[in-house]
Amino acid sequence: MQMQYAGFPYLSAILVSCVGGLLAILCIPGERTRTIRMVSAVSSGSTLVLAAYLFVSYDRALGGLQFVERLVWIPQLGIHYFNGADGFNLPNLLLTGIVFFTGVLTMWELQYRVKEFFALYFLMVAGVFGLFMSMDLFFIFVWYDVSLFPMYLLIAVWGTTRKEYGAMKLTLYLLAGSALILPAIVYLFVQSGLNTFDIVALMEPGVFNASDQRLAFLLLYLGFGILAGVWPFHTWSPVGHVAAPHAVSMVHAGVLMKIGAFGVLRVAIFLCPEGWKYWAQLMALLASVGIIYGALVGLRQTDLKYVIGYSSVSHMGIVGLGLSTLTVDGLNGAVFQMFAHGVMTALLFSSVGYIYDRTHTKMIGELGGLSRVMPVASGYFIVAALASMGVPGLASFWGELVVFIAAFRIYPVRGVVAVLALVVSAVFMLRVVQRTFYGPNREEHARLPDVPFFLGVPRMILAAVLLSFGLYPTLLFDMIETASVPFMAGLPK
Amino acid sequence: MMSLLKDPVLLAAALGTSLPFLSMAVILVFTRQNQRLSATISVGSVSVSLLSSLYLLITLYGAGAPVQYEFPWLLADDIVIPFGYLLDPLSLLMLTIVAVISFLVQVYSIGYMSGDPGFSRYYAFQSLFAWAMMSMVIAPSMLQLFIFWELVGLASYLLIGFYYEKWSASQAGKKAFVMTRLGDIGFFLGLIILVLGFGDLSIVRMNEAGQGHQIPQYLITISALLIFGGVMGKSAQFPLLTWLPDAMEGPTPVSALLHSATMVAAGVYMFSRIFPFYSMSPEAMALALAIGTVTMLLSSTMAMATYDLKQVWAYSTVSQLGFMVMGLAAGGYFAGVFHLTTHAGFKALLFLCSGIFIHEYHTNDFRIIGQQGGRKLMIPMVCMTVGALALSGIFPFSGFFSKEAILGVLANHPNKLWLGAGLVGALMTAYYTFRLIFFMLFPRGVAAAHGVHDAKGSGHGHDDHEGEHHGYIFWTMAVPVMILAGISVVLGFSQSSLESFLMGHGSVPAQLAASGGEGHAAAHDGHGIGHYALLIGAVTMALGGIFWAFMEFGRKGATQEGFLRAFPVVERLFAARWYMDAFLRAFLDKVIYSGLTNVFTRNDRRVIDGGIDGICFFTVAGGRLLSFLQSGMLQYNLLVMIVAVGFVVLYFLLA
Repeated sequence: MQMQYAGFPYLSAILVSCVGGLLAILCIPGERTRTIRMVSAVSSGSTLVLAAYLFVSYDRALGGLQFVERLVWIPQLGIHYFNGADGFNLPNLLLTGIVFFTGVLTMWELQYRVKEFFALYFLMVAGVFGLFMSMDLFFIFVWYDVSLFPMYLLIAVWGTTRKEYGAMKLTLYLLAGSALILPAIVYLFVQSGLNTFDIVALMEPGVFNASDQRLAFLLLYLGFGILAGVWPFHTWSPVGHVAAPHAVSMVHAGVLMKIGAFGVLRVAIFLCPEGWKYWAQLMALLASVGIIYGALVGLRQTDLKYVIGYSSVSHMGIVGLGLSTLTVDGLNGAVFQMFAHGVMTALLFSSVGYIYDRTHTKMIGELGGLSRVMPVASGYFIVAALASMGVPGLASFWGELVVFIAAFRIYPVRGVVAVLALVVSAVFMLRVVQRTFYGPNREEHARLPDVPFFLGVPRMILAAVLLSFGLYPTLLFDMIETASVPFMAGLPK
Repeated sequence: MMSLLKDPVLLAAALGTSLPFLSMAVILVFTRQNQRLSATISVGSVSVSLLSSLYLLITLYGAGAPVQYEFPWLLADDIVIPFGYLLDPLSLLMLTIVAVISFLVQVYSIGYMSGDPGFSRYYAFQSLFAWAMMSMVIAPSMLQLFIFWELVGLASYLLIGFYYEKWSASQAGKKAFVMTRLGDIGFFLGLIILVLGFGDLSIVRMNEAGQGHQIPQYLITISALLIFGGVMGKSAQFPLLTWLPDAMEGPTPVSALLHSATMVAAGVYMFSRIFPFYSMSPEAMALALAIGTVTMLLSSTMAMATYDLKQVWAYSTVSQLGFMVMGLAAGGYFAGVFHLTTHAGFKALLFLCSGIFIHEYHTNDFRIIGQQGGRKLMIPMVCMTVGALALSGIFPFSGFFSKEAILGVLANHPNKLWLGAGLVGALMTAYYTFRLIFFMLFPRGVAAAHGVHDAKGSGHGHDDHEGEHHGYIFWTMAVPVMILAGISVVLGFSQSSLESFLMGHGSVPAQLAASGGEGHAAAHDGHGIGHYALLIGAVTMALGGIFWAFMEFGRKGATQEGFLRAFPVVERLFAARWYMDAFLRAFLDKVIYSGLTNVFTRNDRRVIDGGIDGICFFTVAGGRLLSFLQSGMLQYNLLVMIVAVGFVVLYFLLA
């Protein structure tokens, strides 16, 4: 893989502004919530600006790994502080920036333990950013755990429905995932004999033999797959979504599940392509079951956040299906779908958050007719719901389209099953929209205010992103291709 | 960008189709509070669309080959999705129809929707509808067509469910979206199979390759059958037809748009768009013919048993769509498209007239409208009768010519069963249409006393907008209606010029002939031997239907009950739509909700979560159990140690 070293460490700058924000928040006294919010907004905003700058200035003609930063950290073990940006992680970095910033704005009205909340939130997102940009196995594992632990506290302290249960369940599941990942990483490190955790060095063909790859791939796929909500290891995710505070749900569904899928791509598929080919059938099966299963279970939910949670299971199944096709198109579609799903779910959770803060309920049966009192807030939810149904003109349509075309080539039957889920997901999203926003307005909600301009900003940004990538998808596909085409070409036949 | 300015044709196509999108965006984002401005923007943009479509029609009339523009849009490895415009006679004709009807409906809506709190939202959705439909019509590739096809579905969903506070309205919108989605799955799968098997979704190349036998026969049949699923959903063919009658929950002008030039027309349009491709598969054509026939007959029976003004027209739309599909499937390309054209005119007319009555009398029941003196509203009453005559196929109204064309095609079909079905359909259409008209023209009967009471009851409200009859509100509604009535009178006479335009150079059949394809023998309508006999037969059927309706509902002393009253079981069957909805509901409840969904949800709770919780329980319980060993009592530890050492010693002694 060709590399371009960075003149200025932009990637580290993202981490610095994240960690710097965290430190600054820790230094501010807890009563000065206004200052804390301002600092949070500024530092998360600057990560977004940096990520967007990288996304725009990445040289698509050149491709490869750009903005590379590399320092030897522990030479005896071959551990490097090694970051780089390519077509696979740039969309995810941009996504993280968007969700991070809009999440801070969504939590603008938080009153309870503001300082601690934002501190933990920043720590979690720092882990996410680190994982996406890192090219070193050791660091990937460390960042993975950095992003997980704050989650427990964030849910258990600021959460809502059955929060202790949700937080515990989520943490245990994800720890089980990391218990599978760690041995796989150690095993690969030992088997390579290169004494390095450097992914670029380890992905050279011939480093691992086929049986090693099969074993390691399975462990890594299951370990990261738990985080990506792969069926049947998905039940932590709806429960966790429901229990989490809004911004955490946004990051959780929008970005954290992407970490899982991205881990499968960056670690499992990059290092063990033989294992990938070997287990692809299983991946496709689990993914297509997840797509239809998530949609059908979503049909029966009574809690708004549960509905979104199960729709995430279904949509992450599409990502998995794309990854399982062993084709350029499949990878393109999967990465596009990761981005689209992240923005879309963030918009859904952000809208639910706004509604919950006003009505104090997210039970579908207790809502209704909200379009009359808060047309703008409802409008944003409806836009996201349409994206979730795969309506053209919004980003997720393209991801689904490309994945389905790719999947049909290889797995026609599983493809048909997955496409049928499009009807089911239309039914359950429209059902939710109908019961929540349509119908006569309820007396107890009759005097609720609509979104004031400032509080609407996060949803405005998210909706605009959905629409612009929906209208001109090449903007993102171009980027992903710079990574997927050379990667597939470099694989041994 | 420069090429856009240099080429007036491209400019007109781009401007005409994309302005409504801008209009939607501007209304939703900026002018939601200002109703007048919203309407101005929307009507303004649709009139630009109208002008540019007329300009295109005139400029390209008689142009040799189809004009096509393509720009790369989505590039992802080997998947290339272009975006562009295909201007050939069919798309030009349809573009004009859509623009004319959208324009008239939007003007009409200024009056009809005035004072509605969702006025701006209404115009935003109207713009969305116009944009999606026009972009769909001039799509050069099936994928672009599919994308805008979905957006047409979205716009319909939003407009059908426009009165979202009414449960039935939001239910109807949902039903429309989901049922058409179901058909679209077939469409989508068909397209994917074509992408994989043939690799190109350009409409022109698909048609050529289909005709030139470059696509394997089995591939054509499979994809054609799947793609027909889309037609069944959008054009409300059996068994996906029940969403359309429910769709009248939307505002009446929306129904007019939906039933004439946009939503339901999309299906038939798509069918005719790939007609040369489709006609290469006899199996698919046969299926389409059968489904069209069943649809036409079923929905005609439904229309005989309802007293809802809009519902009668809704069922008649379904039956006319079935009729168009029959015409196309029997090989009558021109006949099907021609009937689509005339139908768009008179169906919009019928709905817009109904809208005036509904706006005036606040009821959908045509018996009550009749009793309250509906016939006194001269303009809509006359115009509605014109529309009814066109729908029944009476000379010289437009429906006569196009129905005649389709029946001619059916007459040329070797199996005369279809012709018989078509004639029965014509009879039923005339019957139920004039049943409605006579109820409104000659109101009387048992319900009269009730009617007087009703008239008094709503008399108050009536007086309130008495002034509207001469105000702009009435005229914004009356003028479009009169224009449409005029169109319905004259359009039929343009048959031969339309035919030469559609069948001429650059058209689909011309390509057919050029590529030496088969299966277009029947594409020319039957001017054969039996033509005059057929003409007389069809007219007799239509007049017979009207006479029948007159005997039962029109003449002095008629009971106004209808023959169906004698067969209550049949009447109930018709009124309940042959229990199609009940069946669907039962299927959803029994199989999907209490079946699959329930099982999966329980699986999540019990098996997966239960399993995990079980593991946790055993871990904790095991820890408790083992913790007895760590009691902290020295004597106990000593005892365990001695026993253990004893075992070890025993082991070594025995080994």
